[in-house]
Amino acid sequence: MLRVCGVSVQYPNGKRALTDFSLVVGPGELVVILGGNGSGKTTLLRCITRTVAPSAGEIWLGETNLCELEGEKLRRARLELAMIWQHASLVRRRTVLANVASGALGRYYTLRTIFGGLPPAELHAARGHLAEVGLTDLAEQRAGTLSGGQAQRVAIARALAQRPRVLLADEPVASLDPEAAEDIMRLLQRLARSERIAVLCVLHQVELAYAYADRVIGIRDGRIAFDLPRSQLSREEVHRLYIQDIQEAVAA
Amino acid sequence: MIDELARLGVGSLAGRAPWRHAVTSAAYCVLALFGLAVVVQALIVVEARPQDLITGIHGMADFIRRAIPPDFTKLPSTFWPTLQTVDIALFGTLVGIVIALPLALLAAANITPSRYAYYVARGVIGFTRAVPDLVWALLFVTAVGLGPFPGGLALGVHSVGMLGRLFAETIEQMDMAPIHALELTGARRLQVFTHGIVPTILPSLLGISLYRLDENIRSSLVLGFVGAGGIGFQLLTAMNLFQYQEVSLLLIIIFVIVLGAERISAALRERLD
Repeated sequence: MLRVCGVSVQYPNGKRALTDFSLVVGPGELVVILGGNGSGKTTLLRCITRTVAPSAGEIWLGETNLCELEGEKLRRARLELAMIWQHASLVRRRTVLANVASGALGRYYTLRTIFGGLPPAELHAARGHLAEVGLTDLAEQRAGTLSGGQAQRVAIARALAQRPRVLLADEPVASLDPEAAEDIMRLLQRLARSERIAVLCVLHQVELAYAYADRVIGIRDGRIAFDLPRSQLSREEVHRLYIQDIQEAVAA
Repeated sequence: MIDELARLGVGSLAGRAPWRHAVTSAAYCVLALFGLAVVVQALIVVEARPQDLITGIHGMADFIRRAIPPDFTKLPSTFWPTLQTVDIALFGTLVGIVIALPLALLAAANITPSRYAYYVARGVIGFTRAVPDLVWALLFVTAVGLGPFPGGLALGVHSVGMLGRLFAETIEQMDMAPIHALELTGARRLQVFTHGIVPTILPSLLGISLYRLDENIRSSLVLGFVGAGGIGFQLLTAMNLFQYQEVSLLLIIIFVIVLGAERISAALRERLD
């Protein structure tokens, strides 16, 4: 579903953020990426959304090579590629329902959605997505009034409104309390299974990775350190991922 | 302990040499003298003569005696200029909003489509704001003749500058995360604008516009003095004809308009959110 093949990223200042990086996420699979700060996790996600251009390699979403796309074709490709962040990034003054339905905007002509309107069918579908994340009652509330956990659920519902094949998550639970974090991870796992979405999730909480990931990828200095099914993942492996950074820092 | 801190340069006074203290005091004295000199030159330049205030009391009392009671029989004749004054402000504010809005979109660094458009828009906004509305009114009276229309134009042009700057600042302070999130869903540019940017900034823009309307009503009262119609023109005429009872009536009306506009604008702004 999502295939990253030999991607390298070199920033204009000469720093290499990713080197010959490859991974595959299949439909219905929840893959967690672990790695220290500055290891290249966020750069990888930015490459996939094409906010950063890779200097080498290919990124395939189904049968489309995202790296070849520009302008209108890239916009269309992004419809199938949803993303959530540490903060929910909702339009605070609009209702929860409008925020969810806005995920489908790109499928409609501008004229049909002008003045902030949305097609009734999409609003109906949005209620369905809200039900999936368990927030039916909050549909008419302003997004600005939600708690962090609720807002993140709404962001996930908005992602669902895109009807995505791939869902990227950049530290989606970093600012949530442990209970809300578990809720969000459970939700992502359930959606991956039921909607056959390929979920690629960057995390800092190792325990959550053990609990919910189908596969865990370790990333260090922009290279793959390991790529293992959860059952084969050893504590030492994860430990090394973080400890090596510290050792290098101490040596320096 | 204190010696230790002083040695480390922690205690500010302990670590400072005595001569430095003297230098700072001298600097303050010079600064104070300079401030005093500025105030004194201002008194000289404006030819401030407090004794004139005392001798002038007689003239003021005479004016008040002749202005009381206000001539309420003239009330019907003030209706039209009053309406003109309010409408000049309304027209000027609307013109200002219509022109300032697109300019502000170009002049907001975070969403401007091009650097050139940004500088041009900033230039227009800066220029229209720098020239006072009274000067614009003089220019437009020369161009299109006496009456309320040049007044409306003057307020419109000046409002472009005032509104444009505040609009652009509002847009620049907007939280961009939801906007980028919408862009990444594959929404079109215009859709991101109508569904992300507009709902985020609209209440602020309305509030700024209402405040501008309130300010413009006050300006529009004065514009009549340079021939741009409205109640100011009537006030000038009454003054020149020594009709002080009419002047006092007009002052009452101006007071009511200004206070009313301020109250209504504030009440409406409070409801925005």
